[in-house]
Amino acid sequence: MTKALKINKNSEQGIIELLKFLLESGKVKGVFTLKKINKEGAIAYSLITKSDELKDAVPFYPLMPTNAGKLISRFTLRGSTNDPVIAVVKPCELRAFIELVKREQGSLDNIFFISSTCGGVYPLKMAVDNTIEKNLSKYWDAVMKGEVPTDLRSACKGCEEFIPYTADMTVDLIAKNDVDKQCMILLNNEKAEKLTEGIKGEFLTKELDKGKLDKFRTKREAEKKKLFDEIEAKMKGLDGLIDIFGKCLGCHGCSKVCPICYCKLCEFESPDSEYKPSRYEADLEKRGGLRVPPGVTYFQIGRLDHITISCVGCGACEDVCPADIPISIIFKKVGESVQKLFDYVPGRDVEEEIPLLTFKKEEFSEFED
Amino acid sequence: MIKSEDNSKNKCAIVSSKSDTKESVIDFLKKAMDEGIFDAVLIPMMTPAGDSFAYVLIKDKTLLKDGAPLSPIMSVQGAKAVSSVTRLGKGKMKIAAVMRPCEIRATVELSKLGQTDLENITLISMDCPGVLPLSDFLGDPKKGMKLFYDAAEKWDYKPMRPVCQICDKSSMIAGDLHIGTLGAKKDTFFIISNSQKGKNVLDKLGIDPKESADSWQAKVKTITEEKHKKREKNLKELKSKIGGLDNLTDTFSQCINCHNCMRVCPVCYCRLCYFDSDKVKHTSEDYLKIAERKGSIRFLPDTTLFQMGRMLHMSISCVSCGACEDACPVSIPVAQIFSMIADETQGLFDYVSGRDIEEPLPLITYKEEELNDVEDSND
Amino acid sequence: MEKKIGVYVCECGPNIAEKVDIDKVINAVSSIDGVAVVEKFKLLCSGDGKKFLEDEIKKHNLTHLVVAACSPKQHEQTFMEVCENAGINPYLFQLANIREQCAWITEDKDEATEKAIRLTKAAIGRVRYHSSLEKKELECTPNVLVIGGGVAGIETSLQLASPDRKIYLVEKSSSLGGLVTNFEKTFPNMSLTSDVMKQKIQSVNENENIKVFTDAEVEEVLGFFGNFEVKVKKRDEDKSSAEFNVGAVVLATGSTLFDPKKTSQYGYGELDNVVTALEFENMNSSGKITLKNGKKPNSVAIIHCVGRDETGYCSEVCCMYSLKFVRYLKDKISNVKVSNFYSDLCIPGKTYQKFYDQTKGKHVDFIRSADLKVTKKGDKLNIEYKDENGSKKNLGADMAILAPAMEPTSDASGLAEVASISIGDGGFFSEEHEKLGQISTTTEGIYIAGCAQGPKNISETLVQADAVTGKILSSLIPGKKIEPEVKISQISESFCIGCKKCINVCSYGAITFDEAKKISVVNEAICRGCGNCVAACPSGAATLKHFTFNQIYQELMEAVQ
Repeated sequence: MTKALKINKNSEQGIIELLKFLLESGKVKGVFTLKKINKEGAIAYSLITKSDELKDAVPFYPLMPTNAGKLISRFTLRGSTNDPVIAVVKPCELRAFIELVKREQGSLDNIFFISSTCGGVYPLKMAVDNTIEKNLSKYWDAVMKGEVPTDLRSACKGCEEFIPYTADMTVDLIAKNDVDKQCMILLNNEKAEKLTEGIKGEFLTKELDKGKLDKFRTKREAEKKKLFDEIEAKMKGLDGLIDIFGKCLGCHGCSKVCPICYCKLCEFESPDSEYKPSRYEADLEKRGGLRVPPGVTYFQIGRLDHITISCVGCGACEDVCPADIPISIIFKKVGESVQKLFDYVPGRDVEEEIPLLTFKKEEFSEFED
Repeated sequence: MIKSEDNSKNKCAIVSSKSDTKESVIDFLKKAMDEGIFDAVLIPMMTPAGDSFAYVLIKDKTLLKDGAPLSPIMSVQGAKAVSSVTRLGKGKMKIAAVMRPCEIRATVELSKLGQTDLENITLISMDCPGVLPLSDFLGDPKKGMKLFYDAAEKWDYKPMRPVCQICDKSSMIAGDLHIGTLGAKKDTFFIISNSQKGKNVLDKLGIDPKESADSWQAKVKTITEEKHKKREKNLKELKSKIGGLDNLTDTFSQCINCHNCMRVCPVCYCRLCYFDSDKVKHTSEDYLKIAERKGSIRFLPDTTLFQMGRMLHMSISCVSCGACEDACPVSIPVAQIFSMIADETQGLFDYVSGRDIEEPLPLITYKEEELNDVEDSND
Repeated sequence: MEKKIGVYVCECGPNIAEKVDIDKVINAVSSIDGVAVVEKFKLLCSGDGKKFLEDEIKKHNLTHLVVAACSPKQHEQTFMEVCENAGINPYLFQLANIREQCAWITEDKDEATEKAIRLTKAAIGRVRYHSSLEKKELECTPNVLVIGGGVAGIETSLQLASPDRKIYLVEKSSSLGGLVTNFEKTFPNMSLTSDVMKQKIQSVNENENIKVFTDAEVEEVLGFFGNFEVKVKKRDEDKSSAEFNVGAVVLATGSTLFDPKKTSQYGYGELDNVVTALEFENMNSSGKITLKNGKKPNSVAIIHCVGRDETGYCSEVCCMYSLKFVRYLKDKISNVKVSNFYSDLCIPGKTYQKFYDQTKGKHVDFIRSADLKVTKKGDKLNIEYKDENGSKKNLGADMAILAPAMEPTSDASGLAEVASISIGDGGFFSEEHEKLGQISTTTEGIYIAGCAQGPKNISETLVQADAVTGKILSSLIPGKKIEPEVKISQISESFCIGCKKCINVCSYGAITFDEAKKISVVNEAICRGCGNCVAACPSGAATLKHFTFNQIYQELMEAVQ
């Protein structure tokens, strides 16, 4: 049984109260969370140092404007933070950050994480014109009932990793009919217990409701199967890939918002990938026609090769794609196949080494001659 | 020399064509390839899945029939396509590139920046009816095609990109040859040569530009004036909406700093953008210091800084093509904003981006006497 | 490696101590991360002070040094040497100016202290991010190329030539001497010129350390100060060329005269007996001053300021040589009447007024005039003009001598391009600074002297020749190596995309383009570290050593807290 803290406010307000306490007591210097940043209600992750700014915080808002794992990585890229900071993030964002820490792109020192069992987010397009705001009660209704809203990001609809692994505190939101009345915060470790010492609230013991979450998982599994089957039919062979990536603009937006893509200068944007005239001429000689700029499908395959071992299936890529390519499902599908080969779940454990970079003497003997 | 002089002085040729202008242009190109004038043609083609268009460098003439000059969407700005072919050298092939005027202008700007070698490229532009926003096409490509071709035929620019609707340079001649469809009699189009290279092509095809381009010029004038009026009105409204730091910050409040706009922009040519480099990667101490000053900052900060920084770097070359707005995932009217400012920055130097390949870029050209009106009266 | 920053605040005698609460400054910075020790001292630039710093550095094993004291212009070098002597790289040092920028500009002690704290914190914030930079040394040749064999060129060559410094003197005409060889005498002493000039030219020809090229032109000057590669082309039958290396180049190409045919008002080229000053000098040197018909002139008009409106400047020497012409005329033709027509009279300096006073006299007029026109009246010339009151007047004369403006030679702009220097006012070579650098140019190692730099008389030309000699003697010492600038630009090979914006804005020609790699490359010997390229590069591929974005950012952040 895990220690837990109950605050008698709805789950979002309860977290805000906790964050307020942590800032005012000086236990943390800054808070990362989603926040309304102007009167029109635009929402972005913010770094908050003054507690009265928390009044506009919306920690569990169903939107992921940027993957927070990428943001925390940037915060600690040039060195760990000397001052303690706490971040409210979604499970996939936390996993992405762990994968980045494994690659020296961030530091865990002095950072605390609050996460939740995640009901999913809406696509970025719906943030424009306040559509999400209008759908908010519908969303929470569905989450509290343990259902999957139909207009979520497709990556979220089929996501089975909705339970955070390494968060210091977890709020169970899924299939809980009391999240609008109380905020139950599971304190997963000693750090969490120390942080919450002195706060006004009830301390008890609690666990995640495994039964309800398993039931929920089956719903998500069903959605995933639908999405994967659909994409599998379209992706068959090289021709399938060319078809599906035909309308790709080569803007590389997917790569730029992906938390796992961290290279300073992407290989596919470096001089190595540029065609000299002799190469064009040779290609044209062979094929008669060549799409330019070249390397559209090559970029996608290359990125699949580089990052899928750590793909957390967050879906940020698809939100930003101007050509409406179902890129998050493609990467999620390939990601899960690769990860399954090694029984690897990206971000599950910071000590777990990245399979493709780890030499094991005995491995894949089934493929040996 | 590529110059865009007063078009009314142009003499042109009137070429008889099929009723379908697309087919006629393809025939013209095929003939030129047959005569050995071009080894390859750069032109948009439909993708294998039929859901988009992409630029293809065609050497095999049999593929030409699938070419689609003035495609319904601009998935890649043509200047980027040309640049990717000749950035590292002019190669041996003589290539004809058929593109929209803004794409040609962007190509000229890139040439001034060492990003493309135009020696073996013949730039051919066409009167442009505009281009559909990507999102209006991708959902239902068949419907999108019909929408575009119907509108283009009537020269109805209402379905086009917002920045196309206020484009007063849709018939600007900035390349070597221009195909004029406006004001042409049924089953004909005009060909206007704008350079020695263009003239040589016509010579080799046995086309003698000796007709008057007056009827083309007149129709172009009417349309340009109409669009110019709409442009002034729209941009005036836009200015009041985004003017001032508060309005500007609000306009870009939804921006997620994905930098799509920068990457699809033809004149953003840096290999590593300043705003992706180490210079914008601060320490946690610095971020916290900045956050403490205001009590809360959006993270990552510097969204408006990126937009203004990009504007500072490229506004002098902006061709108002609108590729940026199509690529923005949160529908910020970024093309209209940048186009509006480009009018002003270029206007300051009497510069029109891409108008003349010999015209040096104002911001890196030293002139002893310049901008006297902003000098201190005590100097 | 752990940083250990030593911070030392100078009392500067009473200069800083009286105006800034130094103890408060010390307290404010003692606890900053990385600061190992903070002390004050009476006078850090003194012998004792320098020793103190050196000992401190060694005692505390300091890795970086910050001194809060006077202006870097005063003592940055001093403390950098201290660092070197103590064993740390001199660029791991920052000087915070709390004197000129702080103690000396306010009476308010609180304000001064607050600013001193900010400046010191800023210096600490910056020095943390400094990198060690190494000085380089380049071989250089002490030889010199002098272009132009007139007064300036000859004087410079004779003064510089020595067994360990060879001079290459290139003259485009077939003989040395320049314009001055046309003069019988020079003002104000009216001494005979030709003997002096003959002697000088002989000295040049006999000097085995001066190699003279006549009928020759400089075709190419590549490279940089200490190491220029020169190509000279000779206009002989074989069109042969010579190539050699020099450490400095002196442009002493002199001047030419404004062509009065460009304006119609003087009748030059149309009317008889209208001559330019140079033509008159030659006439005088031949011994006889006559009209076209062979007779001696009884009345002569000397017209000053010819071409002044067109060129927009005063040529400084014409009024004086016009006085000389009066003397020539008076010497050779008794009772000749001379009228000087001028718009402004230029008689500057301590000696010329006497010359003017002694030249005035019977039959010598000085008439201030405007709207002057030379026409024909019978077989005489008629000078139409407006006098000081604006009334139209006429004066007859047998001969009119025009004093045209001095202009740069026709090949000046071509030479400027060859030498990579600019053309300035009037089309003359542009000096580096109107007051502080009259004979140097923005290209290090390229100097200008004499009328090539602007109209002037012989004594001023000689002064400039001396100045150039001085500059070259002190900077281009045989055997000494050149130390190029350390804080220079560098361009990242992986990030440069070859747009050449940097090349366009570089005033020193220090960036070249590698065609194979299609990237810009900085020439480390020529770069002066001005930072234009860094500002122009949109992607930040160009950075400036010792002034990186981060260094400036950190300093700024601390200063504006």
